[in-house]
Order: sequence, then structure tokens, then C-alpha cells
Amino acid sequence: MISIPLEHYLVVAAVIFAIGACGFLARRNALVALMSIELMLNAVNVTLVAFNRWHGDNHTGQMFAFFIIAVAAAEAAVGLAIVLALFRLKKSVRTDTADLLKN
Amino acid sequence: MSANLLLGLSPILIVSLGALLLMMAEALSKLRNEARESPSSSLAMGSAVVLASGGVASLALWLQGPDNLMEARAALAPWLLIDRFSLFFFVILTLGAFLTVLLAGGYLPEHKLDRGEFYPLVLLSTAGAMALAAAGDLLTMFIGLEVMSLGVYAMVAFRRGSPRSVEAAMKYFLLGSFAAALLLYGGALLYGATGKTDFSSISFQLAHTGYANPTNLQQLAWENSTPLMVIGLILVVIGLAFKISAVPFHMWTPDAYEGAPTPATTFMAGAVKAGAFAMMIRVLMMAFGDVRSASWGSGWPPVLAALAVATMTVGNLIAGRQESVKRMLAYSSITHAGYMLVGVVAMAGTARAEANGAVLFYTLIYTISTVGAFGALILCGSRGAEAVSYEDLAGLGKRNPAVALALSLFIFSLAGIPPTAGFFAKLYLFKAAVSGDYIVLTVIALINTVIGAYYYLRVLVFMYFREPLPGAPIAKPMKSGHVAIALVFAALLVLALGILPSKTLQAALSSTISG
Repeated sequence: MISIPLEHYLVVAAVIFAIGACGFLARRNALVALMSIELMLNAVNVTLVAFNRWHGDNHTGQMFAFFIIAVAAAEAAVGLAIVLALFRLKKSVRTDTADLLKN
Repeated sequence: MSANLLLGLSPILIVSLGALLLMMAEALSKLRNEARESPSSSLAMGSAVVLASGGVASLALWLQGPDNLMEARAALAPWLLIDRFSLFFFVILTLGAFLTVLLAGGYLPEHKLDRGEFYPLVLLSTAGAMALAAAGDLLTMFIGLEVMSLGVYAMVAFRRGSPRSVEAAMKYFLLGSFAAALLLYGGALLYGATGKTDFSSISFQLAHTGYANPTNLQQLAWENSTPLMVIGLILVVIGLAFKISAVPFHMWTPDAYEGAPTPATTFMAGAVKAGAFAMMIRVLMMAFGDVRSASWGSGWPPVLAALAVATMTVGNLIAGRQESVKRMLAYSSITHAGYMLVGVVAMAGTARAEANGAVLFYTLIYTISTVGAFGALILCGSRGAEAVSYEDLAGLGKRNPAVALALSLFIFSLAGIPPTAGFFAKLYLFKAAVSGDYIVLTVIALINTVIGAYYYLRVLVFMYFREPLPGAPIAKPMKSGHVAIALVFAALLVLALGILPSKTLQAALSSTISG
């Protein structure tokens, strides 16, 4: 079996993270922003698990990934509730409709 | 599970179990009594008692000395570190939350937001902030951070029928989660570079350049992993800067502070900021406290110094242009984060212990003063006539001298004018920065303090020397025993610490991190 080197995982994770970050910064749809954050968190998970295979003496990386998955779910629950509240008031989930607070 | 372990954890346990109990009590009392009066009055008192016991437990542990808790400390390390540093922050956090729940007990019924879930949210967020302050590992730090933040997101959106409140929550949530993701990615890279997630091991690996126990593969990899560490450190610092709202990562702060119900703002400006600073100091001093990372030439101090200068100056300049007092106080909290950053930079220098004490003392005083200022603002307004802008406060000194006096006291403390505690907080902070030879930073901070006096004193000018414009809507002060108790308590603390600061300063000085 040819094993895939660590760098491949890291590059994939970095690309996913960058896609998530760009999506978060560029898109104005709150749901897309939420998904972008999920992408970023999953990129972190891939990185952690890949590194854990490299540092084989413990399972810290994998444990960390599980915690991130759990917390990401909680975060999505609160985030969706806020998006829902925004939609009820504005009939839209675009973040640029929320523009009451300004300098 | 030994008694010693329970004792060591007792501050966090009291607060989180209290939150669960109150949540149950609130849910069950609804079934029993449909036509009950406001849930706030009893829940606010219940939460205040829980937080006060948590604070007293932390204080007792601090006085007794964490050295008596060796068993608990050994069992909890490296996940949670129960040292004097954590315990001092526990006291700050429970105090900030204690005042917040009392303020909420007056604010929520007055503004018809009287739903009981606010109090468990405050308590659980506080428990998260306490875990954050004690965290000695990236994992517990992340969990503490999220437990704290998730509660606060919900508190900001508490007035869910108001577009402003929901918008504030939206912005805070999106940027907060983005920052958490950056922080995590930085943490993952650090794990890759060092193979560890707890701060002391990361620091050990950094200091011993990875050759402590080398295999050939690891040794080879180590030479390639320096960029990994640098990128990791940069991402972690950006994530931390978001959380303490340092310029240029502060964009969410004024919006979130202004849109949120005022007790939620109070909690964010007080306890959340203190928790975030505890996290920042721990990460920088424990994980990146080695000679190379903490030196001016090759580490984080110059970056942090640049952040401090930008934060103080930009926060100050924009605060001066605000028409809303609430928004001005939001920018003022950004400026204060800048002053505290000066102290954190000084911790990397020669006067480490002195700077540590000064930052802790400053955080305590800042938390009390800012909570008091927001609390006085709550007391200035009532339903439909909330005090928001400077105009709302015009003539308040004549209409309601007691409220105006309270607000003036906290504003004085924030501005750093004696005999309030804010003066000594600034004095010690700047003295520590000077003894660490950060003269330029101190001068910039001093100039900013002088500029800051302008917009703080403007509040007093409006209250005492202006009459309300004819026909303009004026804020009518509300009546609430809860808010009054909180303000009297905070005012006594501000005055007491302003007249006799030395004991508390000594306590702050001995509250060092011990790994």
C-alpha cells in the first residue's frame, strides 16, 4: 500500500480553510457564511487528524477533532437561531439587509 | 474523585450547578403558578447568590493558597490550572457577572423582556469564562471560549423582536465564530509543529527546539516546522485580538455593544473581556513565554505593541465622535483593551511580575467601573425612554442627582481621575510599563488618557451644565432596587479601591501564573 504523505492532507486542509475564509469574507448570505465557517472548522479537523498520524504517540489530535465537531454543532444551532430571528424580521437572510447599526 | 479535587474545582462547579438548578427552578415554577409575577426578581437574586458564593469560594481558595490543593492541581493539570492567577480572575469574573445579574433584574422587567432564561445564560457563560481563565491546554481553552461565547450570542439576541438586537447578535456571532476558527487553525498548526496541545509542553518544545527526544524523522521534520509555528502563532494572535476587540479587529464591537440589551453589553464589556484577557495572557506567557518568542527582536511583543498603539488611538479618536453614550462606552472599552495590551507587552520585558500585577489590578478596576457605567446608564432610562445619546442625559444632574452622581463616579474611574480606583489602575500600569523600559508606549498611552478625558467629561457637561432642548424626548430614570444595590456596591468598591488600593494590588502582584 502506498501511503499518502502528510503534506497532501495539509495542503487539502489549507485549501479548504482558504475557501471557507474567502466565502465568509466575500458572500453576503448569512447561511453561506455559516457554511463557510463549518468548512473552516472541518479544515482544522483534517489538519489535526493528519498531524495526529504523524505524532503517533498519542491521540490528542483525534480527540481534539471530536470536540470541535461537537462544539461546531452547538455553534450552528445558535447561529441558525439568530439567522431565523433575522429572517422573521427582515424576510431575508442577507447580511447587508442588517444595516441599522453604524458609526 | 477526592474532596480536594472538588474543593479545587468548587468555583466553577458552584456557578455551573447553580445555573442548572435555576434553569430547573424556572421551568418548574411556570407549571405550578401560571399567574406568577415577574420571574426576574427571584431569579436575579438566586443568580446573584450563586455568583457571590462562587466568588467567595474563589477568594477563600486564593487566601488559603493553591499550594494546599496539590492533589486537585495534579489531577486537573494540564487541562485546568488552579493557580492564584486563575483564582484572581475567578473573582473578577464572578464579580462582573454578579453585578450584571442584578442590573438585569431591574432592566428586563422594565423593558418587558422578562424571560427567565437570561440568568442561566449569564451563569453558564461565566462558568465558560472561568474555564477559559484557568485553561492550560488548547482544547480546554477552545471549549471554555465557546461555552462563554455561545451564551453571550444568545444574550445579545435576547430582544428578538428588535432588528437592532438581532443584527448585533448576527455580527457578533459571525465574527466571533470566524475568530474561533482562525484560533483553532493556529492551534492545529501548533499541534503539528510541537506534537502537544498543552501550553507548558508547547513552551518546552519551543525552548528546547524539539531535540529533547529526537527520532530522525522528527528531527528532520522539526527543521521544516518553524514556518508552521510562525503561522500558527500569527493565527492565534489574530484570533485573540478579535476576542479582546483590538484594532483592526474591533469592527464588531461597537455594533454588538450598541444593539445588545444593556445588561448583555455590560456582561460583554466586563466579564467576557476579562476572560479573553486571561486567555491571552496565559497563551502568550505560558505557551510563547520562552526567550525567543517573547523577545522584542524575534517574537510577539512588537506585534502586540503595534496592536496596543492602534487600539488605544483609534478607539479614542472614534469614541470622541460618538453621539450615543452607549456607543461611546463601547469605544471606551476598546481603548481600555489597548491600555491593558500595553501591560501585556510589558509582561514580556524585564518587569514581568510587576506588569502581571498591574494588568490584573487594571482588569479588576476596569470591570467594576465599566459595569458601573453601563449600570448607571440603565438606571438613567426607562421603558420607551432609554438613555442612549448625550442629549438624553441633558439636565439629569438637576432631575435626578443620585443617578447623575453614580454615573459621574464611574465615568471618573474610567477616565482615571483620582480619588477613584481608575487612577491607581492606570498609575500602576504605566509605572510597570516604564520599569520595563517601554517609554514610548507609556507616553502614547498617557497622551491617549488625556484625549480620553474629553469625551468622558462631555458626559458630565451634558448632565450638569446643559438643559434639555425644548420638546426633545428626555430619558426618565427608572426605579429598581436591584440596580440600586448593584450600583451602590460597585461605587463602594470603586471608592474603596481608589482610597486604599495597596492590599488589592499586593494580591494582584502575587497572582502569578504557575505552570
